[in-house]
Amino acid sequence: MIHIFDGAMGTILQQKGLLAPGYCPELLNVDRPEEITAVHQQYIDAGSTIIETNTFGASPLKLAHYDLSERAREINIAAVKAARAAAGDKVKIAGSMGPTGKFIKPLGDLDFEDAYENYKVQAAALAEGGADYILIETSIDLQEMRAALLAAKEVTKLPVICQLSYSEDGRTVTGTDPQTAAITLDAMGADIIGINCSLGPEQLVPIVKILSENTEKPISVQPNAGLPQLVNGKTTFPMGPEDFGNWAPKLVQAGATYIGGCCGTSPAHIAAIKDALKDFPEPTFKPLRRRLMLSSRSKTVAVDKELPTVLIGERINPTGRKKLAAEIKDGSFLSVKKEAMDQVKAGAKLLDVNMGVGGIDQAKAMKKAITEISQLTDAPLVIDTSDPEVLEAGLRAYPGRALINSVSAEKERLRTFIPLAIKYGAAILCLPLTDDGIPKTAEERLKVMDIIISEAKKAGLKDGDFLLDGLVMTVAADQYACAHVLNTLRLYREKYGYPATMGLSNISFGLPNRPLINSTFFAMCLAAGLDAPIMNPYDEQMQNALMASMALLGKDPNGKDFSTNEKNLSVPKKAAVAKQEDLAPLEAIKQAVIEGNADAMPELLERAFADNIDPNKLTEKALTAAMNEIGVDFGAGRVFLPQVLLSAEAMRSAFNIIKEKYPAKEGEGKGTVVLATVKGDVHDLGKNIVGALLENSGFNLIDLGKDVPAEEIVASAIKNDADIVGLCALMTTTMTEIDEVIRQLKESGNTSKVIVGGAALTQDYADEAGADFYAQDAVIALNIANDIISK
Amino acid sequence: MAIFNSPFFEIDKSETKRYAGLRQSEFDEKIIEEACELARLIIHPTGNWEIYDYDDTSQTIASTPPFHIQGESIKKHLMGCDKVVLLSATVGQEIEDKITSLFKEGKYALSLILDAAATSAVEQNADLMEKAIFEKVSRQGYKMKWRFSPGYGDWPIEQQPEMIRTSKADIIGVHLTESMMLEPRKSITAIIGLYIIEGNCTNEAEKHNCAACDKTNCLARK
Repeated sequence: MIHIFDGAMGTILQQKGLLAPGYCPELLNVDRPEEITAVHQQYIDAGSTIIETNTFGASPLKLAHYDLSERAREINIAAVKAARAAAGDKVKIAGSMGPTGKFIKPLGDLDFEDAYENYKVQAAALAEGGADYILIETSIDLQEMRAALLAAKEVTKLPVICQLSYSEDGRTVTGTDPQTAAITLDAMGADIIGINCSLGPEQLVPIVKILSENTEKPISVQPNAGLPQLVNGKTTFPMGPEDFGNWAPKLVQAGATYIGGCCGTSPAHIAAIKDALKDFPEPTFKPLRRRLMLSSRSKTVAVDKELPTVLIGERINPTGRKKLAAEIKDGSFLSVKKEAMDQVKAGAKLLDVNMGVGGIDQAKAMKKAITEISQLTDAPLVIDTSDPEVLEAGLRAYPGRALINSVSAEKERLRTFIPLAIKYGAAILCLPLTDDGIPKTAEERLKVMDIIISEAKKAGLKDGDFLLDGLVMTVAADQYACAHVLNTLRLYREKYGYPATMGLSNISFGLPNRPLINSTFFAMCLAAGLDAPIMNPYDEQMQNALMASMALLGKDPNGKDFSTNEKNLSVPKKAAVAKQEDLAPLEAIKQAVIEGNADAMPELLERAFADNIDPNKLTEKALTAAMNEIGVDFGAGRVFLPQVLLSAEAMRSAFNIIKEKYPAKEGEGKGTVVLATVKGDVHDLGKNIVGALLENSGFNLIDLGKDVPAEEIVASAIKNDADIVGLCALMTTTMTEIDEVIRQLKESGNTSKVIVGGAALTQDYADEAGADFYAQDAVIALNIANDIISK
Repeated sequence: MAIFNSPFFEIDKSETKRYAGLRQSEFDEKIIEEACELARLIIHPTGNWEIYDYDDTSQTIASTPPFHIQGESIKKHLMGCDKVVLLSATVGQEIEDKITSLFKEGKYALSLILDAAATSAVEQNADLMEKAIFEKVSRQGYKMKWRFSPGYGDWPIEQQPEMIRTSKADIIGVHLTESMMLEPRKSITAIIGLYIIEGNCTNEAEKHNCAACDKTNCLARK
């Protein structure tokens, strides 16, 4: 059955002159209900079978703009009544809830709970007024949609329609793609899933198609009348009723069964839809095979026997890891974030998150971890806890469909975890464990799994919501531990066809050479039906076993990935640019500095020392010579600043080694430079670079830092008998301070040469300020300093 | 007011290379990658924007109190606009501290590239905010000019206090030093002109053009 929504309300109210500037459009429901009813009537006459209440902006947070939050209930109830006056009992009423206009934390500053309470008020009032559906629409933030959906489910029994708005790139502004929206909202219990606004019907056809391929729930679509244009100073939508109507069959073919219009559509557009669909055959949909799909805000990952193995990264777990535990405790979470990024880089597709640290508020820690990680990576998350409170905190905060690790057949676990899985649309990892302990054989495990799955299905979970754990025991304690697991995996696949998971490393506990046992076991399990191992993704041996198994099991057809992976190619290592061992020691050191190879320095210098090369000669012929060469290349634009700095690092390494070997040479620098970023200026990277080049070219550097007052610079120049004073200012607002320093230096009678530099400075400015030299970049500064000293 | 902390998972490596002055040259990709990954861990990207009416004839932003724009370049840039977006964005202080400490440890190149990654991140953050702003304003038929900051052209940075005030940068913890510097250092304030012309409302906010800038010796010049 195809249902026809209505079109735009606001534009008609505007045309009727009912919207004075500063007047809240939703207040018309109370002040002029007959006008609202009249608009609804126009749409019903045009053929709408569902009309939307005039409550898009009638949530308390939105009404606050007009100081009307307190009247939210009254306005929403009045809106439904105004709609009902036109609808009677033939036409259905959808109570519209629009966005709050704010982004929910962490994307914005609105608390999830405040958004939730906001929508609770509105949904309850719409239900009280007698709406037939709750319609959450035009949302660009999946998290806001989740808050509204949870609120609507909490306070009403009405079917809920969830419509997001997509941009031209096919994602919402906050990154959600239609597949992810379908997976996440379907699991959370949305009754109809759809799209409205932003784009015209043409752009929405492919999005409707993706939605319908990912959910069996009905799909709704309410496009704009094309993309907005400006005509005679007014925003208009170009698509006329006939063109608009012509798209209706294409939208139905793509999978939509609820069709209407958004911005720029009128009763004529709705009539055109009705007309276009008049003789259109009833669409039929073939059932989808429900696979296990998990999602983050912006990505969906499927786990299935027909798909490549999905690695679940196990590293965000403080068990036995003191540093990680301490960071979770003190709230810094840096290692948590790093583990998230590194595991994804190493190939993890899902991330397990465990906050099991004693003596902390684990629910709070879980919420924080989930929030931080989901801002850093798009890998869907697995919430790993035995505490329902911690679980709910994580699920509530997560803008996607998570996996719960884990649900056993323990009574308390079944009672507390399954309702949370249903409420938040999570999938469950099922662990064959009972209150009486661990079943040993595959057959026993299967019996326990039956209990979990039947309890879960009774409560409302479906195919596609389960990941089954093989339960790995230690082979050192039970010689058949491996056989039990392999049998279990086979039986799971035979009996349920659901994907399987497990933690692997337990198998080798108490044995030597555990990596060998683990990777061999891993390969066996992959063959027996393991789809999503929970493992350390940094483990190379396991990764190798996985890569080989994928080729052997036909999941990497013809071993294509295997053959192209560089690990498996016996290409000789790239020859070094210049073989340092073939060069004379001085030349080799010079070469290493030019290449910025600090690591080679200890060995190369050792060779030079063994050849009794004089340290002065070393400095002059190798280090300084190298720096000169780099300077020339830099000046000519052949190398760039980062390369110069790598060379400086190599110089630094060399100087440190020379100093250690010949401590007597210390202090015999080329000359003394006092360096500072002037008062008022906090930029010091440029100054630091100059300092690094000078210091590593043998100058005695006194770096006073940034934001340094003139008096301090002058005093330091006098005290240290400086040969050179280097001054840096980045901004036009601070460079005048350079004049002041030079004035005070001259006044004090100090004769050090002044070099100035910084982004805002020019040669002219330097001349006027009375500086001796202007250095445009760090290499020029070094050259000038060398010139000054050699004179 | 609209606080927006853009979700983004990776820092643009090629922009980072450009800000580090590397242009198209070969450089150890490992260091670039290390810097971009480290940066992603320690940035705290956030931003806020405010939309005001703009009077093109008197070059005044209708904030309370009003903000009078100075500088020919920005006045010219905003010609034909009747609204403006005032935007502030930052990636926070932590990365700034790390840049300093790495340099002190002698990791000069990593420090420099981390600095470039932070610049890249704050620009990426602002780009994503622009995308969200466009989503909002395009529905009213507006197009966006590219974002313009004090210091571009002859727009005096002495107008930063007004930028801070009207973009409400204090909400995201960005403030000014006496010498008009933003703290945290990796922060921006900018103005985006909104204008309406006949035709399709696609986003034509072209990027700030290096060729239009008079700082010809800039490290990152394209």
